[in-house]
Amino acid sequence: MIPDYYEFCNSAKIVSGTKAIEHIGYELASLGASRPLVLTNKQLRDLKVATVVLDALKDTEAEVVAVYDDVPVDSSVVVVNDVARVYRETGADAIVAVGGGSVLDTAKGATIVLTHGAEDLMEYRGAESLMGRRAVAFIAIPTTAGTGSEVTSAAVIKDTERHVKMGFTSLSLLPDVAILDPRMTVGLPPRLTASTAMDALTHAVESFSCVQANPLSDCYARAAIDLIREYLPTVMADPKDRGARLALANAALLAGAAFSNAMVGIVHAMGHATGGVADVPHGDAMAILLPHGMTYNLDAAGDRYGELLMNLAGAEAYASTPRDERPAAAVEAVRSMMRTLHEQAGLPLTLGEAGVLPEHVSEIATAALNDGAMSMNPKQPTYEELTTILKDAL
Amino acid sequence: MSDRGWRTKRMRKALAAVVYTVLGRGLVASARLDDRVRREVRTWPDGTVVTLRIAPFGPQTSWRVSGGTLEHLGGGDARADLLVTFKSVDDAIPLLLGMQGVLAAFAEHRATVRGDLAVAMSLVRCLHIVEGYLFPDIVTRRILPHPAERRAGHLRAYGALVHRTAALEGATS
Repeated sequence: MIPDYYEFCNSAKIVSGTKAIEHIGYELASLGASRPLVLTNKQLRDLKVATVVLDALKDTEAEVVAVYDDVPVDSSVVVVNDVARVYRETGADAIVAVGGGSVLDTAKGATIVLTHGAEDLMEYRGAESLMGRRAVAFIAIPTTAGTGSEVTSAAVIKDTERHVKMGFTSLSLLPDVAILDPRMTVGLPPRLTASTAMDALTHAVESFSCVQANPLSDCYARAAIDLIREYLPTVMADPKDRGARLALANAALLAGAAFSNAMVGIVHAMGHATGGVADVPHGDAMAILLPHGMTYNLDAAGDRYGELLMNLAGAEAYASTPRDERPAAAVEAVRSMMRTLHEQAGLPLTLGEAGVLPEHVSEIATAALNDGAMSMNPKQPTYEELTTILKDAL
Repeated sequence: MSDRGWRTKRMRKALAAVVYTVLGRGLVASARLDDRVRREVRTWPDGTVVTLRIAPFGPQTSWRVSGGTLEHLGGGDARADLLVTFKSVDDAIPLLLGMQGVLAAFAEHRATVRGDLAVAMSLVRCLHIVEGYLFPDIVTRRILPHPAERRAGHLRAYGALVHRTAALEGATS
């Protein structure tokens, strides 16, 4: 089914493959940049993951003007402003962001400051309200296979002084180039691999079933799920399998492009709220809440989930399941994946296992109702319905 | 643009301005009649100015939260903390005439939002309630996510709206 109206943009150049990072000099030159600021965090430097990028940059005509590795776990407005300051002071002309969602979102925030001369990022919060071309060349190199931030038009940045999470969506936040290289993710521990993969799976499932799903985002979502179904078990069995790691990185990217255009819904709304209230890691929250959100949506999006059974469980399972049983079978396929990851990597199955207390439920439900993702869900829950879902997930 | 096309666009903008006035007063009236709207408005930071605008030159309508109550600022310029901008009058009209829901309009990229998205979500819930009062069930069944639940009947809602209009006219005469 085609929506009456939709928009789709995935303008980032994708560079994917073994040693893909060695092309970074060419990519910078293509963007007309020669003085990159490399943004990463200390952990990635200690693990020598960022070193792969820095070594590749040594063998180029580009001059790295600064390596900023003070990005915290949650990107913050203080760090964003500091990155912008270093960028200006060093005369940089590009940002190369190496990291997970926090590093990439920090880079996106810095591009807003540098493009709009923003004194206060709060003024730029919102959806599609940033106008004009970005003034900063921007290359994103993800080190997890989950957020898809390397191809999304969204960023979340914390204002730690005012205790608010600021949401931004704008096509001007899309990186110019996204580089996927298995060397970036091959060292991810199984627990984190499982958690981030479930984040990517949730992006794909929600984008396929939310109100702005469209023929283009559907292709990306289905391809992402196929890759996760096929290669996540391989990576869990052999974390050093670089081919499978690259496939998972591609799955996360595909899912990111899907949800950047078709948006996400109730699972992300509850997941953001759960992270904010009870500090549950995003991927864990996604994994726990995905089957619950799908179950709630069954009467509004059951047909779409039924279609996804093909991707979630494979062609044989799809063909052998009667049409009217496919939606529930799709939910069960996700639960089955969850149980396997619980056994293999200790991924929590309930919010309680993840540290959520019964007294958190009310606050999480309220925050989830106010989350922008909720507006894109195929069905709008009441506060009471949300508390029921969350209690079921406890 | 042809003369006819331009005249049509101007008529649509004039229609949008009228609906904005009704909507502006309707939200204030709903805040008086309906505790759900009052509760939502109380969560907005005091002094918050909310504006609905049609790009690029209007019309627009604004409200300000003051002491937990809502004040309609009319269609003049206002320094908005939450600014919802429809990309064109053709994007606003279906929503303003009850042909399309607020969430569907956002999903179809018909409007941009500058400001706190949590307040925007609260505003959407308020607009759903207002639409419940302004439109008959045959319309609300199509555009609202849940069946309209009214704390007061249509007549009382329209009465509150007219009363508010009369009060405003009295204040300015």
